[in-house]
Amino acid sequence: MDAKQTEIAEKIKNILVENLRIPAEELDYEIELFGDGIGLDSIDSLEIIAGIDQEFGVQMTGVAKENFYNIEALSKYVMEHMED
Amino acid sequence: MADNEKRCVITGLGMINAIGNTVDESWNNCINGVSGIKEVRSIDTSDCYAHLGAESAEHFDVEAGDDEQKMDRVSLLCVKAANEAIKDSGIIIDDSNADRVGVIMGSCVGGAVSIQKFFTDRHNAEGSEDTSDIIKMPIGVIANNVAKIAGAKGVVTNVGNACAASTISIEYACDLIRAGVGDAFIVGGADSFSALAFGGFTALHALDTDPCSPYNKSKGITLGEGAGALIVESYEHAVARNAKIYCDVLGGGISSDAHHITAPRPDSEGQMNAMKWALSNSDLKPSDIDYINGHATGTPLNDSTEIQAMQTIFGDNDNTAVDSTKSMVGHCLGAAGAVEAIYTVKALTTDTVPPTIGYSDEDLENLKEKAGKLDFMPNVSKHKEIDYAMTNNFAFGGNNASVIFAKNEKNIKPLENNKVYVTGFGIVSPAGNTVDSYVEAVKNGGLKSEGDGLFATVGADDYKEYGIKLNFYRKLDKLSQTQVVSGRACLADAGVTVTTDNETEIGMIVGTADGPATEIINFHEGLIKNGLHAGSAFIFPNTVYNAAGGYFSINTGVKGVNVTLTNGMQAGLQSICYAYNVVRDGAEKMMMATGLDENTETMKLLYGKLGYFSNDEAVKPYELNGSEFVLGEGSTTMMLESEASADARNAVKYAEIAGYAMTHESVSAGTLAGSDAALDKAIIKACENAGISVDDIDAIVGFGDGNKTVDAIEMNSYGRVFKNVKPVMSVKTVVGESRAAAANLEAVHAALTLSGKLPSKQDAYVFENGKAVKTTVDTTDYKYMLVTSFAAGGSYTAVVLKKVD
Repeated sequence: MDAKQTEIAEKIKNILVENLRIPAEELDYEIELFGDGIGLDSIDSLEIIAGIDQEFGVQMTGVAKENFYNIEALSKYVMEHMED
Repeated sequence: MADNEKRCVITGLGMINAIGNTVDESWNNCINGVSGIKEVRSIDTSDCYAHLGAESAEHFDVEAGDDEQKMDRVSLLCVKAANEAIKDSGIIIDDSNADRVGVIMGSCVGGAVSIQKFFTDRHNAEGSEDTSDIIKMPIGVIANNVAKIAGAKGVVTNVGNACAASTISIEYACDLIRAGVGDAFIVGGADSFSALAFGGFTALHALDTDPCSPYNKSKGITLGEGAGALIVESYEHAVARNAKIYCDVLGGGISSDAHHITAPRPDSEGQMNAMKWALSNSDLKPSDIDYINGHATGTPLNDSTEIQAMQTIFGDNDNTAVDSTKSMVGHCLGAAGAVEAIYTVKALTTDTVPPTIGYSDEDLENLKEKAGKLDFMPNVSKHKEIDYAMTNNFAFGGNNASVIFAKNEKNIKPLENNKVYVTGFGIVSPAGNTVDSYVEAVKNGGLKSEGDGLFATVGADDYKEYGIKLNFYRKLDKLSQTQVVSGRACLADAGVTVTTDNETEIGMIVGTADGPATEIINFHEGLIKNGLHAGSAFIFPNTVYNAAGGYFSINTGVKGVNVTLTNGMQAGLQSICYAYNVVRDGAEKMMMATGLDENTETMKLLYGKLGYFSNDEAVKPYELNGSEFVLGEGSTTMMLESEASADARNAVKYAEIAGYAMTHESVSAGTLAGSDAALDKAIIKACENAGISVDDIDAIVGFGDGNKTVDAIEMNSYGRVFKNVKPVMSVKTVVGESRAAAANLEAVHAALTLSGKLPSKQDAYVFENGKAVKTTVDTTDYKYMLVTSFAAGGSYTAVVLKKVD
């Protein structure tokens, strides 16, 4: 990840820590967020979508689930869809 | 011939919702398929994706006199419906019967309108917020307001089980009548249209952009607003006063999904359990049910699981009618159960089934595929002979409730009369999260606050001990976390492992004064800051009062009765009374009774604004010189178990619950002065029910917290009721004013004393010549202990515990 994506990833990590009460030490950019990893569910995904919309102005409603796989995938999607 | 001692009837109805200000107006519109769904009027939804709601009239006559100005809209709606029901029933509530008339009201969001107003004002200009709004915030004030207008002085409480709340209020009233606790109850519930609910369901993407279409398009809910009130009365009481009787209330069923905080079980087991238990408690077969008023919210998950449940149980019946009156009045949340129960009673007594509206020709074709032999009553009402009708409601937290009404009398399943023992404890308090840590704190003379009160800590060690995973506990607010840990500790202390064999034989009653106030206000502050469209989907599920009980059920797999009561601090004792009834009646083998409340910045703000927050080091009760108290927090859980169940597994019996009483003497909301007589009555009745004289009481665990009004009422009452001076122990001097948690802990303290788990030499107060004197007592020979608690507004609970022989 380049510096810009890392910056985005860090902000997304903060959203997960603040809004979803996941301890920061449990999170890195690669760990799977849903399924066998952190084990997030559909309500969490709504919160992630709302948080990303608010932080970056990027809409992720209806976006394919592979973009939610981990923080790296989320930050990649956000970076590609952000308006500078 | 029915056993009339167990016969409960409906004698009065009252209702306000989007299609009528009275039962007659609402019912006529209902059977004519009139929709009350319109653009939302009371809140600005312009930044949201959905804009429809089913609001009640903006203005309506309440007839509440001077009290009207002191009430939130939710209480005004509730009083309006209650007044109509009382008038309809013709019941005269006066000195001759008031002690045996109670009020039980359900609500989901309570005073959410006042919460929104207070925190919006504060957001706009700190200091401009109106302190009088604080009294209007909790659900707990609703039943008190109704009791004050009605003059009821019996059991007064509120059910906080979200969308099943008012269904449960009907069932609890019947339980209490059958237990001989009261003769008539004003029950039902209310919810006002609120930013809390609209913002929450917006965040969950659960609102329909079109009028909701339950059992049909199932694209989401339309929120409604309203109140429903029913007079539930013993048959003898109704006949003695020549009352008009609408119908009988037979059995009910209350279950817990143990699955998810918002989503129903995919296999519908919890919903089916509630329906099956209602049937078996009514001694009926599925084929006896002629009409079901469904929960029918219109969300895809609710509708599909509910249809699956009904097809499984009733699918072989010929032509059972099922409808969704929500298609006309929206989802009235805590009022839904009462509104729908009233429609069910009207359907039963007029042999007319209301329609589910909104089906197009294409929808009717699709309906044929999923309806099977069920008749979903598309678009038009029908005449149908109805002997037995069921109404169902399901709630966040995974709580399900069903109740059955009958046109004629019917023998129902007889109740047992079990002895009830305390067989376990779980204590999460500022002293620590074990019984031993509490005992140690008592020995050390109590904890000391460093200024903001006393705090409980739940953390990694607790989660590790009980195998609670991060993915579960991170979802919970602190209130729910303390509940799960105290409940798990109680199960462990009682030596109970939840298995598929006993999961439906264990239930829980939660009592809380302030509920998840901190999480509710967190959610509101998000709406105020970010807009109605940007509420937190993560926080919203935690804003229902029954979230703590729901999470406990999810974590442990406990699937029995699960009810949350809220009426001030005494809710932590009322939970014991409810749980005792359930076990004594034989509905469950084991019931966990809990009290919980929290101490947060939010609590400090609210209690501070009211002038109650103390930064002293400890609660100093009975000094009669201040209004403030030291806040504490925690969750205390007590396992109540039938004698047969306890004996079968050789459980340790710490004490027996010998009797209880709940009383009320209405005073202004948020106050207590002038309600003294109700405490006297609670103590006297609790002793009567325990089969003892008041003089048999060896000691009391009291509720004094340093507020001189509260303390004086307690001291004076004991002076009037008891011939001899009784020692009074205080748990609040040990762990602070943790409200419902303290009330429950008082009972636990009594059981620990009677069982010898606490040292036989204990600190206590004796009241002499109007003053409290500290002393040390020897508890070795204690046989009976009394526990008392109160709620602002004038409600009291007293419980007698007996030493095990």
